[in-house]
Amino acid sequence: MNLDWSVVWRNAGALVDGTELTVALAVLTMLIAVPGGIVLALMRLSGSRLLTGASASFVELFRNLPLILVIYTAYYVMPIAIGVAFSPFVTGLVALSLNVSAYNGETFRAGIGSIRKGQSEAAFALGMSRWQAMREVVLPQAARRVLPVLASTWVSLFKDTSLVSVIAVGELAYTAMRIRSQTFRVLEMLTAMAAIYWALGYPQAKLVDWLHRRLGVSE
Amino acid sequence: MSDGHRQPISAPPVLVYRGVRKLFGDFVALSDVSMEVRKEQVVCLIGPSGSGKSTLLRCTNGLELIDGGEIRLDGEALPRDWNGMRRVRQRMGMVFQNFELFPHKTVLGNVTAGPMTVLRMRRKDAEARAMALLDKVGLADKTHSYPAALSGGQQQRVAIARALAMEPTVMLFDEPTSALDPETIGEVLNVMKRLAEEGMTMIVVTHEMTFARRVADWVVVFERGTVIEQGPPEQIFDAPLVARTREFLSHLGWAG
Amino acid sequence: MELDFSPVIESWRFLLGGLGLTLALSVMTMLCSLVLGGAVGLARCYGPAWLRWPLVFYIDSMRAIPVLVVLVWSYFALPIVTGFVLPPFWAALVALSAHIAAYVAEIVRAGIGSIRPGQSRAAFALGMSRVQTIRQIILPQALVRMLPAFGSILSVTIKDTAIAAVIAVPEYMNRSQTLAGESFRPIEVFMVAMVVYFVVLFPVTRGVDMVYARLAHLGRS
Repeated sequence: MNLDWSVVWRNAGALVDGTELTVALAVLTMLIAVPGGIVLALMRLSGSRLLTGASASFVELFRNLPLILVIYTAYYVMPIAIGVAFSPFVTGLVALSLNVSAYNGETFRAGIGSIRKGQSEAAFALGMSRWQAMREVVLPQAARRVLPVLASTWVSLFKDTSLVSVIAVGELAYTAMRIRSQTFRVLEMLTAMAAIYWALGYPQAKLVDWLHRRLGVSE
Repeated sequence: MSDGHRQPISAPPVLVYRGVRKLFGDFVALSDVSMEVRKEQVVCLIGPSGSGKSTLLRCTNGLELIDGGEIRLDGEALPRDWNGMRRVRQRMGMVFQNFELFPHKTVLGNVTAGPMTVLRMRRKDAEARAMALLDKVGLADKTHSYPAALSGGQQQRVAIARALAMEPTVMLFDEPTSALDPETIGEVLNVMKRLAEEGMTMIVVTHEMTFARRVADWVVVFERGTVIEQGPPEQIFDAPLVARTREFLSHLGWAG
Repeated sequence: MELDFSPVIESWRFLLGGLGLTLALSVMTMLCSLVLGGAVGLARCYGPAWLRWPLVFYIDSMRAIPVLVVLVWSYFALPIVTGFVLPPFWAALVALSAHIAAYVAEIVRAGIGSIRPGQSRAAFALGMSRVQTIRQIILPQALVRMLPAFGSILSVTIKDTAIAAVIAVPEYMNRSQTLAGESFRPIEVFMVAMVVYFVVLFPVTRGVDMVYARLAHLGRS
């Protein structure tokens, strides 16, 4: 077993680029999926049977499908369904956004639902509309409950970006595996890939723990 | 109160309930409830738990919609839809058994929430109104505290100020002291008494019989969704006409 | 867009074999993870202090590294280290079990930690030993509370087996890809795949919800 770890340093630039793409993918997905989740939650909590059903179906669908399958399906279906050939990056972004929006939809629904009915009643008793009560009283309180869960979802998302490597998006996993194929330095590159994800993910996981402790649910 | 404050029978009623009926599924919460509330009157609703008193209150400000009969405010029937009730709710204030202060807002923020969000008052004006009310209920020094830092009695007084900030014509109290420690009940009842003296029209669901005896102008006795007796406090407490009323009061240890 | 499902229908045996492997891998991973994760979780709660640090490191590392990375490393890199090649299925089993056991360990730790200390005190007051208390009082209640989380872990496990397609495990996802490539009908193949996975996963989550609803009162103290 002769190992040459210099292959990692020699390709550091490419690995950094890959990491940047990973972060970009995760950030963009969350920017779409947080409002997406709120919309889904409000749809679910609305009185309308149509909206409730649509939201519930969307959430159930994406929570019960492997993400890798969603990615592949998006890759093949999107060009035909919409007629435009999207870049793998956009395809991956769409798949990730759909998936994470569904999870966020559940998160926000549970968060909003956990606020005591009496709080909205007190708001209504003052003459507030449903939307005013939501904005002034329910959502601010729900935000505290929702934040730790969103943070966990972010950590999962960060890891899930690695899956879009299967459709050749040049994020970290794809980049590392490409270098591996080119240099045949299998153990070195794969270990480096794991180490980089570890270095990025470990502090994030610790931050999530801290958030859970700080914002623990207290009535 | 009951002697100096009675309205002559000719004054028009503020709220009229005729044959009000409310169902929750199969359960009949209210059945054929009729009563009237006149201007500046304090009406106390008493009766065993689950007899429908709170339900009637919640039907009054539209938190529940009635299934039969009618409720008229100043001669006009209450809207039957939730959104229509919103404007009506601005004319009524409600105080809840467990206060329901907004925990993420300060005391001042709680009292200004209604005027600023609903009446679209400017912050300065809303805060001025809030300060005056907090002073009135004796909590001017707590404006920047959060509800969690206050005792139950203090929180309830803030809740009263919050409701008053909307300048309602009718105040609804849903068992305002039931969740309070005995020591703090008095401070809340005193605020309510002063409010009554100043001429506020009030409907109070309560178990505090002494308060009802002294402050109410009219007492309505509920049992299982119906009104079994109503009249001035002297009648209800000293010489009830209905046996069930007497039983209920003696159950509570009411010695007169 | 005309759809032609005939390639899918003709290859149903091929796909069914893949599904069988998906389920087999899922069940075996689940069992291994429960055993490994349970041991790690219990060791974290009741084990010696010096053991906690490496265990926590293991758990947190698995939370930080994507499943894909663990799978790929187990299949391609591990043989170089051990000199010993694992066939794809077993490499996947090792990787997935190691990854998911970390989550199981966390669930066990949280479940045990959620039991009020008063319960142990009551047991000790009756004269029970530590082991008896753990086995008869703490664990039964904790296990009931852990059920919903285990249900979601099962769901995650089944979904993660699809990633094993990447290291040539011929489970359902992998076979769908093969079929899509051969038949040039990827949309039909993947649509069927979505239905198949949904039909498998949906009852898992619902089933756990129902079982929990029946048993929840046993865990409430």
